[in-house]
Amino acid sequence: MASKAKSRWADDEQDAELEAQRRKEKEEKKRLKAEKAKKLEAEKQAREAAEAAATTRRHPSPSPPETNSGHPAKRRKLSPERGTTTTQTQSSTTIANGTGEKTHKLLRFDGGAFRKARSVENYDKLNDIEEGSYGWVSRARDISTGEVVALKRLKLNPKDRGGVPVTGLREIQVLKACDHRNIVHLKEIVVNDDTSRLESIFLVMEFLEHDLKSILEDMPNPFLQSEIKTLLLQLAAGTAYLHENWILHRDLKTSNLLLNNRGQLKIADFGMARFVGDPPPQKLTQLVVTLWYRSPELLLGTPTYNTAVDTWSIGCIFGELLTREPLLQGKNEVDQLTKIFELCGIPTEETWPGFRRLPNAKGLRLPQNSTTTNSLVRARFPTLPSAGAALLNSLLALDPEKRPSAKQILAHEYFKQDPKPKQEAFFPTYPSKAGQERRRKRETPNAPLRGEKAVDLGHVDFSGIFAGREKEERGAGFALRMV
Amino acid sequence: MNLLTNPLATPDQLYQRRSFGALPIELQDAIFFSAQCLTQAAGILLELPQSITAQANVVLARFWLEEQVLAHEFSDASAAALWLVAKVGPRPVVPRDLSNVYSYLLSSSSSFFHPNTSPPRIENPHAYFQTESSYHAFRERILALEERILYALSFDLRVALPHPLAITYLQALEFLHVRKEKISRRVLEYLNTALLSPQMLYLTSQPNALAVAAIYNAAKDIGAKMPECEWWEVLDVDREELGFLVVGMRSVDGWARKMREDVPKMAERMITRADIQKELTKLGVAEISEKRALDAEEEMARQMDEKMAEMEEGN
Repeated sequence: MASKAKSRWADDEQDAELEAQRRKEKEEKKRLKAEKAKKLEAEKQAREAAEAAATTRRHPSPSPPETNSGHPAKRRKLSPERGTTTTQTQSSTTIANGTGEKTHKLLRFDGGAFRKARSVENYDKLNDIEEGSYGWVSRARDISTGEVVALKRLKLNPKDRGGVPVTGLREIQVLKACDHRNIVHLKEIVVNDDTSRLESIFLVMEFLEHDLKSILEDMPNPFLQSEIKTLLLQLAAGTAYLHENWILHRDLKTSNLLLNNRGQLKIADFGMARFVGDPPPQKLTQLVVTLWYRSPELLLGTPTYNTAVDTWSIGCIFGELLTREPLLQGKNEVDQLTKIFELCGIPTEETWPGFRRLPNAKGLRLPQNSTTTNSLVRARFPTLPSAGAALLNSLLALDPEKRPSAKQILAHEYFKQDPKPKQEAFFPTYPSKAGQERRRKRETPNAPLRGEKAVDLGHVDFSGIFAGREKEERGAGFALRMV
Repeated sequence: MNLLTNPLATPDQLYQRRSFGALPIELQDAIFFSAQCLTQAAGILLELPQSITAQANVVLARFWLEEQVLAHEFSDASAAALWLVAKVGPRPVVPRDLSNVYSYLLSSSSSFFHPNTSPPRIENPHAYFQTESSYHAFRERILALEERILYALSFDLRVALPHPLAITYLQALEFLHVRKEKISRRVLEYLNTALLSPQMLYLTSQPNALAVAAIYNAAKDIGAKMPECEWWEVLDVDREELGFLVVGMRSVDGWARKMREDVPKMAERMITRADIQKELTKLGVAEISEKRALDAEEEMARQMDEKMAEMEEGN
């Protein structure tokens, strides 16, 4: 077009010259590219020939090193002599002979190999990130590739009568089984250099710059609605993947959700996770999930629970994203239940059929009138659009049966309404605490320790918690925010 | 999630096994077979589901490809594998039970090595009574081995068993129009026997191939009519692999019988490291122990002393 419409400023001769030069360069490039491709092709052929030669050479005696060729020989011969005998006997066995010579495409399953764990000396420690109840996390660099990773160290107590802690083993097995963009990726397991006695086990995981908790603590303004939607969607997607694969996380909370500088959220810390079946196992430990994120059925001592415990935690996280404060900060189990009932209302046989039969519910004295059984979620978050409030309300349903599944969350109306979820790439970035030389101390209560006794609530009187509730001011406050 | 595939042994690992130190392959196979049988027996006594015991079999087989077989007592390795698999699964084992079961199985009173055909043994509870100190020693060994296994396998204990797949395949094949129980039973028998095979079929083939081969064998045994087309290809197994596995699975029985005849000790009790050491000496593989050389020297010196004394007396 530029050549047709004559521009006032154009100097035709020069333009033509430039054009010619450009064309020439282009042709030169094309030629080089073709040449390169040709060379590559030739190289590839040579390599293939070499490989073929190698495999034929390998046949008489299986040669040790698996070179860079993609797949090992289909059938592995155990030994030369046995290999030959099998082929002999094989021809004499009566396998129904197929008539056609045509070959069919068969699926090949690659399950990888097994080998000894590498040493932690392959990594260069950069700085500590966090010290939790189950181990330390530090930032480190892979010496050979230069890649920055997170190293999570599992403490091994030589006096431990049970050997390597089963929680750590479960975490490893669960993480190894997971492959999803919203779940932290476990690269490998390394151990201390002197392998005569294992002292520590290190989980090598991808490094993410932030955890949601420290972002929430430091950010001057809360997340925008569009950002909250993106975060929640990612959390729900990861949780849906876990639940589809029969895994309960059992410790979802903001400090276990990692975020990178590209706006990607990943679920981490599977120290409490386990595989479950359907129907769920009969005797699951009640002592799971950090107190502030623990669901009412767990607090009431149910021995059988399901994916709804994770859904409750998602509800708590949703509330925390909105206010930057943990939603329900109980001081102990009883206080936690009080806080839950204050927000979600006192359960009744209608709102939660059968809750009275739970072990810890028998001794509860609950006030029974209509003002106390309604949920106050809507009033607590006046700026939240009604679809959002409906979602939060369903996540925080007292009856676990009434909570939506992670998959249903993904399809919720809230995420379809404006403002639309923000694209991950457009997420703001934050200064990374983990990336700098700063140590972080946890302020949320720790996840419950295995083997502790679950608290028996005994006889608790909840009739006082709503005293004076009628006198409180009602109505939504004002808040104006651009989204 | 990967419920259908297993990590397999590399050609390198299999080759290594043949060249490990000086341990002849026949001895390795004997150790492998008897340890796998022991694991199975312990699984039954501990009332573990076969899915757990079978996984322990596979884990033990993998472990011995990464670690010298002679590095630990064979029965301990078997116990540790079972303990570890049960621990991460839904049915953990109490160390005390494990200790009792293994001590019984290894004792002379155990009926494990004495099938019903032989005259009944005299029950001798003292033979398998566990003192507190022997229990503690056992637990220490198991915990040390647990770490060793985890390290050798890089903490990957995932084992996909072919058993459920085989049943699914049978359903798809409409149980080849024979009695469901009959053919299913035979298929599972083949799969369980394959766990004991020193050819380590579970480490060289994926579960789908094992399942297909077991179905093929069971159908042949029972005389069920298989589809006339190359039905194994539908299940992603090629003819060559199927043939190899069919022969491999069928050969275990004959091989084990012959082994029991060749190594009579195997029929009496569990092979130990000491047995292997003796066998090696017999074969002349290991050097004659220094102690014996020393003994001979001492004997000579003693004789000379005696002679001297005699001579002196004579004077």
